[in-house]
Amino acid sequence: MSEVRIAAEPRTEFGKGAARRARRAGRVPAVLYGHGTDPRHITVDGHEMMMALKTPNVLLRIDGLKGKDNLCLPKDVQRDSIKGFLEHVDLLVVKKGEKVTVEIPVTLTGEIAPGGVLNQELTQVEVEAEATHIPEGVEVDVEGIEVGTHVTAADLKLPGGTELVSDPETLVLTIAAERTEEEVEAELGESVEEAEEPVAEAAEEKSEASE
Amino acid sequence: MLIPRKVKYRKQHHPDLSGRAKGGTKVNFGEYGIQALEAAYVTNRQIEAARIAMTRHIRRGGKVWINIFPDRPMTKKPAETRMGSGKGSPEWWVAPVKPGRVMFELSGVAEPVAKEAMRRAMHKLPMKCKFVKREVWE
Repeated sequence: MSEVRIAAEPRTEFGKGAARRARRAGRVPAVLYGHGTDPRHITVDGHEMMMALKTPNVLLRIDGLKGKDNLCLPKDVQRDSIKGFLEHVDLLVVKKGEKVTVEIPVTLTGEIAPGGVLNQELTQVEVEAEATHIPEGVEVDVEGIEVGTHVTAADLKLPGGTELVSDPETLVLTIAAERTEEEVEAELGESVEEAEEPVAEAAEEKSEASE
Repeated sequence: MLIPRKVKYRKQHHPDLSGRAKGGTKVNFGEYGIQALEAAYVTNRQIEAARIAMTRHIRRGGKVWINIFPDRPMTKKPAETRMGSGKGSPEWWVAPVKPGRVMFELSGVAEPVAKEAMRRAMHKLPMKCKFVKREVWE
């Protein structure tokens, strides 16, 4: 994976007021740490960082800072829960050749056999890989797989130089049988019958009695 | 209909609706979701109506998750009653939902089908909502 260069400026003022000013100016507060170095508080360009983060586990080269340890991986990304813009990024310093544990996305290809419903239980799998050669993801071919099939983490074909960290027994996906029309009708009908249930009034009387 | 099996106190204060959702703001189980854009109390009837609207549209395929639970009782005094004489009787159950909360999730269907199913479900809910997809990288 090629590295992405991002220009950064050290943060001189701190607190929510300063962070909001930075965000209004189109910048994102970030912190760079790891390998026993002191944390460095920086701001980076919001748009550049957002575009870089579209690649999972993107390798970043932070420019404009003193010191050598400027190669890093995003460790934690805080986003606005509705708009999705970046609020803060934690960057972990890595070295070339170093092995890191990261989560890579599990993507599915193909169409399952008719009559089944695919349920993907695991969307990201934890692997150990070289920091400069992290795979973008792992693909699972589901073409024509039958109802009742289970795929576990051990079944994933990981790229070379990558080792599985997640439990090999972890379920990745299952194929369940489609519901019949009768089952759907029963499910839609049962709610009406349940509606007449009495309101749960349980333990208050007990607590009143103890008072 | 969703209802708590047992409650410690039958009559409670109104839940707080200020601020943003603290958790449950991402699609975790399925592929698509309905995210609240406003704060509101969602009743168990509304949750059920939304679920039925989705299930009716997707029919046999797909799986629906409900990520909210109506565990807060709301009370009401009878009509034409003078004020005082204590709090009214519990009448319905609500889930307090703050902006950002992913309330329903869906998987196992194509995106256009999911979008239409969720659009129908959104009409049953008391706040503005949006259709969201699971992000590959968060």
